[in-house]
Amino acid sequence: MRILVVEDEPALAAQLAEGIQSAGYVVDVAHNGIDGHFLGESEPYDAAVLDIGLPQMDGITVLRKWRAAGRTLPVLILTARDTWREKVAGIDAGADDYLTKPFHMEELLARLRALIRRAGGHASSELVWGPLTLDTRSSRASVEGTALTLTGHEYRVLAYLMHHPGEIVSRAELTEHIYAQDFDRDSNTVEVFIARLRKKLPPGMIETVRGLGYRLNQAP
Amino acid sequence: MNPALLRNSLRMRLLAGTLVWIVIAILVAGWGLGQLFHRHVEARFDTELKNHLDQLTAQLILDEQNQAAIRLPPSDPRLNRPLSGLYWQIERMAAEGEHPASAVLRSRSLWDETLAVPADTPADGEIHRHRIAGPKGAALRVVERTVTIDTHSLRLIVAANESLMTEPVAEFKGHLWLALGVLGAGLTLAALMQVFVGLAPLRSMQDALGRVRNGDARQMEGAFPNEILPLVNDFNSVLAQNAEVVERARVQAGNLAHALKTPLSVLANAASASGKRDDELARLVVSQMDVVRKQVDYHLSRAQAAASVQVPGMRTAVAPVIEGLVRVMRRVHAERQLEFVVLPGEGDPAFRGEEQDLQEMLGNLIDNAAKWARSRIEIEVGAAAGGLLVSIDDDGQGIAESERDRALGRGVRIDQQAPGSGLGLAITADLARMYGGDLGLARSGLGGLRASLTLPAAPEMFDGKIRRRHEPANDRGPDTGGGNASPRHGAR
Repeated sequence: MRILVVEDEPALAAQLAEGIQSAGYVVDVAHNGIDGHFLGESEPYDAAVLDIGLPQMDGITVLRKWRAAGRTLPVLILTARDTWREKVAGIDAGADDYLTKPFHMEELLARLRALIRRAGGHASSELVWGPLTLDTRSSRASVEGTALTLTGHEYRVLAYLMHHPGEIVSRAELTEHIYAQDFDRDSNTVEVFIARLRKKLPPGMIETVRGLGYRLNQAP
Repeated sequence: MNPALLRNSLRMRLLAGTLVWIVIAILVAGWGLGQLFHRHVEARFDTELKNHLDQLTAQLILDEQNQAAIRLPPSDPRLNRPLSGLYWQIERMAAEGEHPASAVLRSRSLWDETLAVPADTPADGEIHRHRIAGPKGAALRVVERTVTIDTHSLRLIVAANESLMTEPVAEFKGHLWLALGVLGAGLTLAALMQVFVGLAPLRSMQDALGRVRNGDARQMEGAFPNEILPLVNDFNSVLAQNAEVVERARVQAGNLAHALKTPLSVLANAASASGKRDDELARLVVSQMDVVRKQVDYHLSRAQAAASVQVPGMRTAVAPVIEGLVRVMRRVHAERQLEFVVLPGEGDPAFRGEEQDLQEMLGNLIDNAAKWARSRIEIEVGAAAGGLLVSIDDDGQGIAESERDRALGRGVRIDQQAPGSGLGLAITADLARMYGGDLGLARSGLGGLRASLTLPAAPEMFDGKIRRRHEPANDRGPDTGGGNASPRHGAR
């Protein structure tokens, strides 16, 4: 799961990045509206945290441009001015939720999880697929009640597959969603994570669809 | 007239001034015309008497016995009708020392009366006039002359009742005063009309000002004459300036909020992260940060509302505000499948105040309802005594009666479960009171809480004169409103 954070205040941006990363997501940070808009339009993010008061291009404009370009990623806007006028403007521009500064990091993470879950059509923070359970709140996975020990990258691969169960997910797609933008990507490492996951999961759950990618099956 | 009334009313001043002159002019005209006519009639009367005297003189002869005689009696029939009011009489002048003179000839109209004319001896050719009491005590106007034929001196007298002269004069004066009275009434009416027509722009100015004060208009509108147009323009610019000051205060309040809150966020997050490592100071910072945030929110909302309540001519349609807020709630609570029922009320109900304040009040209430509702929220706009009534019902657990007063107080948080500042209801109640409205909490028919917000209503729109105040919220980027006033770009 890859999250875009657009926040111009460096300290707050760093805190957001840290907080969201520690919840098991990959984070890219943009410090102004123009960079934020470019990233959001060119990279496949699973959600965005967007400050409304941004230099160069304000958050509402960024959001409108994304929506006009057909980007449907869930967007959580941050407002400093705690007015309903701003919230209405944000929602009408296409935001999915808002949070007023100052906020508690836990609340931001909860809202973000809810948005990603909602975007995937999941009603609960616990994703269940066959014997597999993924708790997005605690970033833990378990097989029939037994907790799995996963590294950060393994968790991200599994979480992405769990958000798209039964669908074919290409290697490139996985790469895009588990690495930050400026990370030196190597799609071969995805195969390494898949291989490690297969050892930890019941056999046959991750199927390789030749030439297309991977599919998470319900039963072995 | 009451002097205070005269002093206080421009209309009364103008009317009183005009009326005094009308009365004086009519009195002078009536008196003058009466006098003129009186003199004219008197002159004619005297001429007539003299004519009779000349006629009598021309017919006077001495008969064989040297007695005075009239060859042909004067023709006026009144001289033959007894006591008709017109008489003649001829007396023989007594010789020197002989007294009194005796009447020798009289007109038939005198019947058996004698005119008692005081002794007088006009010189030859002179005519003397007297006023005497005649038959039945009537006042008579008398002319006389002395005629000497041979050695006989005769006194010729013609007399007429003064009433023959005064009656037509009185009649004329009666008509005159009547006519002048009508004229005076007409002039008074004209003066009244002039005053009312002349002062009509003042009244329309008063009406325009009244509309501004009632919040029906933001500026004084209408066509005004050149004499009061500068006043109206000055007043309008004062109004505009006032609105500008308020808007600037609002923007600056927003900027202050923005400037404060981002650093607050940073501080709170840093402290929060540190607090996990069991740091007493960090916990203190986190808890105090909440207090700071509440204080900032509370006082900012108060400052903004206090500024805008003073501005007249505000009008905000209620329905679009509710629609915008419901859009927000539907999106934010998308997965809870909440049902929002909005009954927007008859016509186009409008609030007499700032759009942003209405948004804050309704936003807090609807947000609160949405937080607690199980499945359904009903928003109804209706009329209350002299105002608007917006009631918001939810089917949540409600607030116990004993807790409702506390919920309207400052910073009271009934239940820590739902996220939020806990100030929403208190801020809303405060804002409503500033506008002269009220917020009431009760048990809802749906099972949860019913919040009833009473607010002043803006009057119905007429002829499109009053601009609809609602502008799509998107038109104002929240951070673009400040322009140069915004500290953001300069400070960073």
